Amino acid sequence: MSRSDSTKQYYRSQMPAVGQIFSESSLMAVDLEMTGLDPNSDQILSIGLIPIEKGQLQLSRAEQKLIQINGSVGQSATIHGIVDHQLQAGVSIDSAIEWFLERTRGKLLVAHHSPLDLGFLQVAIKQVTGESIKLLAIDTLALERKRLLRKQDVLKEGTLRLGACRARYGLPVYAAHNALVDALACGELLLAQVAALGDLHQVTVAELCHLS
Amino acid sequence: MDASELQPITEFIKAQVPFDTLDLATLERCCKSLSVGYYSKLSAFVPLDESHPQLYIVRSGAFEVRDNDGELLDRLGEGDYFGFPSLLSGEKVSNRVRILEDGLVYHLDPDTFDYLRVESREFDRFFNRAFAKRLRHQTRFKAKELTTNRVSSLMSGDPLVIDFNATVSEAARKMRSARVSSVLVIDNNKLSGILTDRDLRNRVLAEGLEGSLPVHQAMTTKPKTLTSNSLVFEAMLLMSEHSIHHLPIVDDDRAVGVLTSTDILRGQSSQPLLLIGEIERQNDLESLIAVSKQIPLLLQNLISADARAEEIGRVLTSVTDALTRRLIVLNQQILGEAPMAFCWLAFGSQGRQDQAACSDQDNGLLLAHEPDEEAAGYFETLTKAVCNGLDRCGYIYCPGDIMAQNPKWRLTLTQWQQRFDKWVNTPEPKALMHASIFFDMRSIYGPSSLFDSLQDKVLAETKDNDIFLAGMTNNSLQESPPLGFFKQFVLERDGREVKGIDLKHKGNALINDIARVYALSAGIKEVNTAKRIRALMESNIINRKDALNLADAHEFIAHMRLSNQGYQYTHSLDLSNYLKPQNLSSLVRHQLRDAFKVVHDAQAGIKLKFTRTF
Repeated sequence: MSRSDSTKQYYRSQMPAVGQIFSESSLMAVDLEMTGLDPNSDQILSIGLIPIEKGQLQLSRAEQKLIQINGSVGQSATIHGIVDHQLQAGVSIDSAIEWFLERTRGKLLVAHHSPLDLGFLQVAIKQVTGESIKLLAIDTLALERKRLLRKQDVLKEGTLRLGACRARYGLPVYAAHNALVDALACGELLLAQVAALGDLHQVTVAELCHLS
Repeated sequence: MDASELQPITEFIKAQVPFDTLDLATLERCCKSLSVGYYSKLSAFVPLDESHPQLYIVRSGAFEVRDNDGELLDRLGEGDYFGFPSLLSGEKVSNRVRILEDGLVYHLDPDTFDYLRVESREFDRFFNRAFAKRLRHQTRFKAKELTTNRVSSLMSGDPLVIDFNATVSEAARKMRSARVSSVLVIDNNKLSGILTDRDLRNRVLAEGLEGSLPVHQAMTTKPKTLTSNSLVFEAMLLMSEHSIHHLPIVDDDRAVGVLTSTDILRGQSSQPLLLIGEIERQNDLESLIAVSKQIPLLLQNLISADARAEEIGRVLTSVTDALTRRLIVLNQQILGEAPMAFCWLAFGSQGRQDQAACSDQDNGLLLAHEPDEEAAGYFETLTKAVCNGLDRCGYIYCPGDIMAQNPKWRLTLTQWQQRFDKWVNTPEPKALMHASIFFDMRSIYGPSSLFDSLQDKVLAETKDNDIFLAGMTNNSLQESPPLGFFKQFVLERDGREVKGIDLKHKGNALINDIARVYALSAGIKEVNTAKRIRALMESNIINRKDALNLADAHEFIAHMRLSNQGYQYTHSLDLSNYLKPQNLSSLVRHQLRDAFKVVHDAQAGIKLKFTRTF
């Protein structure tokens, strides 16, 4: 099978996920650590994945990959705490992307400020497979923005940061920072957001995508 | 997955009892197996899947476990667990878990749960114990003679019974003529329920219902029962776990008796009345010292019998009073009759009748008039002998020297009046703080008319005395209940060691202060805190609800303090007023927090009322 076929299949595999009711759905919380904010010049340092099955995060299948990069971690080390020598133990971007596509097949992604993470992933997938792909995700940041804008006109800076969003739902403060913990934090936030919408058995994934 | 990657979760789990006993590898395996859910108030109850039991570990939020009848079993917050009874028993879920505050919950699957029970004995024991008792009072302890007794030896047989369809009036009349506080309700020759004084008060009178109400509508249905062959100790456990004071005793489906907490108390070897009688029979100091060795045991037995803290305080104080009186009488037999009328005054905790373990002396002498040299010598000798006697009987000398043997506190009526006049009319904050115990005074010995002349004068001056009351209030606000901004407990530390919550100085003492300020403001003669609160309620100075809350909080905190000291005593630890909240079940933690909240609110109340500030 060519790589082009596999990305098409991947895309198709996500379609049924959209129609599911949240409490029956199969999602994947994802978070990336990068060397910067530009998908075209910066690189992915690590990817954290935590499945959300039927409305619950499954830590047994939580995984994180560190990725070898070209050059040095540089400035971003101060943010992520990942230093060059740790990345030596990492995998190549090629195998990381293959792993990512395999793990997330048939699942809709969940991310906080998803355009950034999806942007990086799409560029990387293009580099690795040669194929363009459109990834789908529920964006917990966008969900929160919509919800807050229904109550107030202007949002103060920082209101939509992951930690600030979690605090509004009484979720614990997580001091540690890595892709996996952030994926966990984002996944928990989604559970809280959905719970706040009311009836768990009514909300569909499509609605959540639409709301975000 | 490397567990350190999910550090926030491992860190949290690692800090929880009993997970803290697991070794690192087991802990990581455990954390790795968790799933995470979020429960919102909007869905009211946690959906418990009968076919899929699991251990629920509360990470945030608040939950309430209720049984089938809606009875509250437990309140849960961060670090608490639910779901373990079904995991352990294999029986299907029967309790419901209501969501009080939205929260994050970790789920542990049955396989991992069983694996952890095999790996760690502590883990297994923790949940077995929690299951057995639902972790109510961990601080129960056994007085030796109670473990061997059978219920049949203490219960009253031939119980008072009434038919299921009788009215509550009939029941009340029967109870009155039999002079008992409960009646068993019988339907078809079988026990159907129990009706107690408390039910008549709470479910009939307080609800404004008529006496024609059928008993079955006011009774407690399906009461807890035991057989006559059960151990008294089991009865005590059952009573304390369910906060009940009456236990129907049923053999072969037939009600054969009732066991009350008073019956248990009566069964103790160190009955307070016996002890007081014994004190009154002793004729010298050495034998009084020997008798007073029983006092700690009396306290233990009262605590194990789950007597109300207020009763315990009164009983222990009446023993101290008896001992003091006996010492005065015995010494007068040696010294001859006193040259004038005098009163032996008790201050502080003895005055308030809330003595507990390791009380020191706080006393003084009130003389009818100025003594001449000979009379002064007489009282000096008498007071030194009595104070020394008390010390040798276990009531140590007052570290602040507030004792009748100190000439400073051996004063005539006029001198006492002047002393109080100074505190009341020119209050200096510091002097007033030391003086507050004097306002809780009671006469132990001597003519009541003499004592009344002092107390009446004092109360006439304190009543509506704004400046004095503001000073007293400000003093009492120096301490506050140990609650942080988010209602979590604030623990006191001594260097590295966590001492815990000071139940006396940050709990009961504050309530004593509040009751004292109000009582002095209204000229109320009572000095016992519970009686002061009652009197304040009856004269509409504190509204009913606040008064009852304050009295309940007082009783609850005092009860915690006593059972904590009972625990310390049976474990040969030094007695202290510090309680470590991690040793408490979540329900008790919750109640304690509520009690401190009441104290906090009452402090705000006196602040507003007596200092006109917020």
